Amino acid sequence: MRYAVGLLLALAVAWTNSSRAATISLAPPTDVTSEDVPNDIGTQVLVEWTASVDDHDVPEGEPRALLGYSIYRKVAQTGDGLESIGEAATNASEIGFPANFDFQDVEPIGSVSYGRTQFVDENVEAGTTYQYAVAATGLPDAFSPLALATELVTPEMEYFNIGKLWFLIIMLTISLVIIAFVWYAKRGGEIKVRPIAGLEAVTEAVGRATEMGKPVLFVPGILDINDIQTVAGITVLANVAKTAAQYDAQLKVPTARSLVMTTARETVEAAYLGEGRPDAYNEDNIYYLTDEQFGYTAGVQGVMVREEPAACFYMGAFYAESLILAETANSIGAIQIAGTAMPSQLPFFVAACDYTLIGEEFFAASAYLSHDPEQLGSLKGQDVGKIIAAALLVVGCVLATLAVTTNWRGAKIAQIYISDNILGDEGLVPNADKVAEIDAELETQAQQPHGGGGDS
Amino acid sequence: MTQIDPEQIKVILATDCGSTTTKAILIEYVDGEYRQTQRGEAPTTVERPFADVTMGVVNSVTEIGELAGRRLVGDDGRIISPATDTEGCDIYISTSSAGGGLQMMVAGVIAEMTAASAKRAALGAGSIVMDVIAANDGRRPHDQIQRIRDLRPDMILISGGTDGGTTDKVVQIAELVAPAKPQPRFGSDYEMPIIYAGNKEAREAISDVFDEGGFDLQIVDNLRPVLERENLSPARDKIHDIFLEHVMAQAPGYDKLMGWTGAPIMPTPGAVGDILQTVARLQGINVVGVDIGGATTDVFSVFNETFNRTVSANLGMSYSISNVCAEATMPNVLRWVPFDMDERELRNHVKNKMIRPTTIPQTKEALMFEQAVAREALRLAYKQHKEFATTLKGVQQQRTVGDTFSQQTGGMTIVDNMKLDLLVASGGVLSHAPRMHQTAMLLIDAFEPEGVTALAKDSIFMMPHLGVLASVHPKAAEQVFDRDCLVYLGTCVCAKGTPKPSKPCFKYQLSGDCNESGEIAGGDLKLIEMAPDARATIVITPARGIDLGEGPGKKIEKEVRGGTVGLILDGRGRPLALPEERAACQKTVQGWLDALDVYAEEKEPAAV
Repeated sequence: MRYAVGLLLALAVAWTNSSRAATISLAPPTDVTSEDVPNDIGTQVLVEWTASVDDHDVPEGEPRALLGYSIYRKVAQTGDGLESIGEAATNASEIGFPANFDFQDVEPIGSVSYGRTQFVDENVEAGTTYQYAVAATGLPDAFSPLALATELVTPEMEYFNIGKLWFLIIMLTISLVIIAFVWYAKRGGEIKVRPIAGLEAVTEAVGRATEMGKPVLFVPGILDINDIQTVAGITVLANVAKTAAQYDAQLKVPTARSLVMTTARETVEAAYLGEGRPDAYNEDNIYYLTDEQFGYTAGVQGVMVREEPAACFYMGAFYAESLILAETANSIGAIQIAGTAMPSQLPFFVAACDYTLIGEEFFAASAYLSHDPEQLGSLKGQDVGKIIAAALLVVGCVLATLAVTTNWRGAKIAQIYISDNILGDEGLVPNADKVAEIDAELETQAQQPHGGGGDS
Repeated sequence: MTQIDPEQIKVILATDCGSTTTKAILIEYVDGEYRQTQRGEAPTTVERPFADVTMGVVNSVTEIGELAGRRLVGDDGRIISPATDTEGCDIYISTSSAGGGLQMMVAGVIAEMTAASAKRAALGAGSIVMDVIAANDGRRPHDQIQRIRDLRPDMILISGGTDGGTTDKVVQIAELVAPAKPQPRFGSDYEMPIIYAGNKEAREAISDVFDEGGFDLQIVDNLRPVLERENLSPARDKIHDIFLEHVMAQAPGYDKLMGWTGAPIMPTPGAVGDILQTVARLQGINVVGVDIGGATTDVFSVFNETFNRTVSANLGMSYSISNVCAEATMPNVLRWVPFDMDERELRNHVKNKMIRPTTIPQTKEALMFEQAVAREALRLAYKQHKEFATTLKGVQQQRTVGDTFSQQTGGMTIVDNMKLDLLVASGGVLSHAPRMHQTAMLLIDAFEPEGVTALAKDSIFMMPHLGVLASVHPKAAEQVFDRDCLVYLGTCVCAKGTPKPSKPCFKYQLSGDCNESGEIAGGDLKLIEMAPDARATIVITPARGIDLGEGPGKKIEKEVRGGTVGLILDGRGRPLALPEERAACQKTVQGWLDALDVYAEEKEPAAV
């Protein structure tokens, strides 16, 4: 809070500078350094300094002379002048800041409040050389002389973010696991996928429609083909269409997007061709209703009430229309199978439908239905990745608990290692400062006398 | 046939006309209850040169008459009825499987729905289902027509569509059958009976299809009026009627035999199913019955009063033994044999058994191998039965949000070994095993019962006779079934779960006619001798994760009965797992066989 107030005051100072003459009355910060921030693409420079002697605590009620620091930057390579807002035309060709630097005309590239000794400039270009300067600021229009950075800095792009090495290791592990499972599946190895009731029931639902002499209705959601749920829904549609072709059942697909209609038509036609029933394919059964959410819902409801399909599939992205559709189909006695990754709609589908594919099951449908080794291997590999993530969560929770409740040095170090190195960006080597902090803390605790005892 | 008051029936004569043997039994009312008193058998005479089934019947009945000191066949060659003090019987009943029994073809729209219901109706009526034609059976229409033409069924059952459902598809099925013009097995002037039990709105169209002649179309109520419910009785009754009117009428001598019987002649398997249903209903229990023959294995089950029957056509102990070995694979067969056997020699043994079906094992090793094959045949047949005996498919489900992670599809098996109360065995390899311990062990290994299950065998294959009797006198049928038909082997108490080897599996405490307590370790078997009439209460406390009927780790208390074998406590866990490694497997199996004294030297007369 203290820093925020300071920052506001510093900004106020910067604003008032534009209208009043600056006075050099504050002591400047010292030891200004600038260095390239490591492990980035060359767009950040870290500027550090030692606080001005005027940056100290004051008794309560007294005004503070130093309110913050302003940071200035100059492109050293071209010497085009200070690269700040309202750039001043001062010694354009000179490298470095002029002795008669005009605080009124030059906007700093950033400012921080008193007490702070760091600033990260995130607006630099890789390969350009910069010089930085810092000035202390106070009220009214008080400045210190500019304190120049001792060295120029040229930020550079790095190809590897060493701090994220753990991320690379985990990603490579999961990738290797996926490749291994794909290889295993391609060689005829058995990859077991647990039965997914909703997909097993596809034949049952289409069979029911055939026995009852009624159509099958497939609703591919209300979003366009660029939504991953719609794509997953179309995958299931291929299987439903294949079964409908085998059973010679009538399949109807009303869509809310024209591109979805086109995709659905091609998918269904391919399925009928694959089953040797091109004659049974009728493209008029796959049609566009409207893009409007409730217009589409009303249209599908109308189809349900008029034609009383015996099986309804809802596979894709759904919003408020989910329960309306499911309840309508339930009232006409249809078997309903839903699949969506919309968490808010899942409870409605579960309650109103016979079978529901939940989130991941929906996306696994393609591998499950096709039995394609590559897809099954990928599915299994992703599962291993999830197991690793879950294991890390459990281990992290246990270590965090132990770190807080005990004085076990190993748990405390492991906790910061997981949070800072594995999940953070500290790289492979643990932060020596933090380890030292832990050691110091433990040593302090060890030296403190135990409470609760004593003479009675 | 005149209806007889059951109370007046005191002497019952029943025959079962099999393909090779006609078996007759006499049931009499003795000391206030019905008992089977005599049995006789004679070769069946349905084939040439006799070509009259009644000759075999008369021969077998005459044998009984001589044994019982009762004149049963009159001078006119007919069975004397009603009974007097010294001669005749009050009712004569019969079953028949002569000439291959009843052979049917069924058809429906969807294989898993109406076609499955039609198959259930046909199997329940005691027929052999030669093929199932369905719109989604993966065959092209010309293949289907060729198949129908190649088959020579006794009758065809066509179903399809709910009432008000599809008409086109049902007519399409009929249009496959009509041009194929399938020929019946018997009689050139015999019109092929077609039973239509499908969508009632398609009846007229179906009649038009079969209007051309050569068919005897019979229309009954839809066996699947809605997908949520089966209505199999009308179709089953019609199958029985046609079996009598058409099939039996064509077989030599059956027209005469039908005039003698006091109840309709039933197909043998149908009668077995009926007696099991009757017993299950009267005693309120779940029953599984098995009849393993040379060519086929029949499995019957009644769970929660729902009856199912399957015929595993290629699983048997002589004609089909090669298929059992091929389907189960030799390593699976050999895992039950506790010593090394030469696989080449075994293959020769199997082929010999196939071409000489009446041979019986001459050495202990051959017996052990044959019983190993029987275990696999029974296991496979039971597996097929479980897959067939399911809840109905295509039924709308009712869900709540609580079902989010526990959704199950329709068509789940209704066979639950934990709820099984009685397991009945029949068929040569089971009924005529040298020791009844072998029969019990075969049943436990093959069927893997869970919890508390009584084991029994059909002493003289009397179940068909009792099945017909159940239709006229259920009480008499049940009494004879319980007292004379079944030989109780005992009770098995089997733990479900995966107990750790040599760690406690469950504790038991017996009280009543047998008082004993102890603990069974994982992987162990124990036999406690209990006389056939003995009854005891057993209290079982399972270890954590082990289920004996009340849930994992929960104590149960049940009454158990003794038998010729006794009480078997099985701590091997379910599903039964044998070690993969051959030597370890042999050692484990030998341990089990020793624990039950399965192949001990003969201590008792061979069971009959």
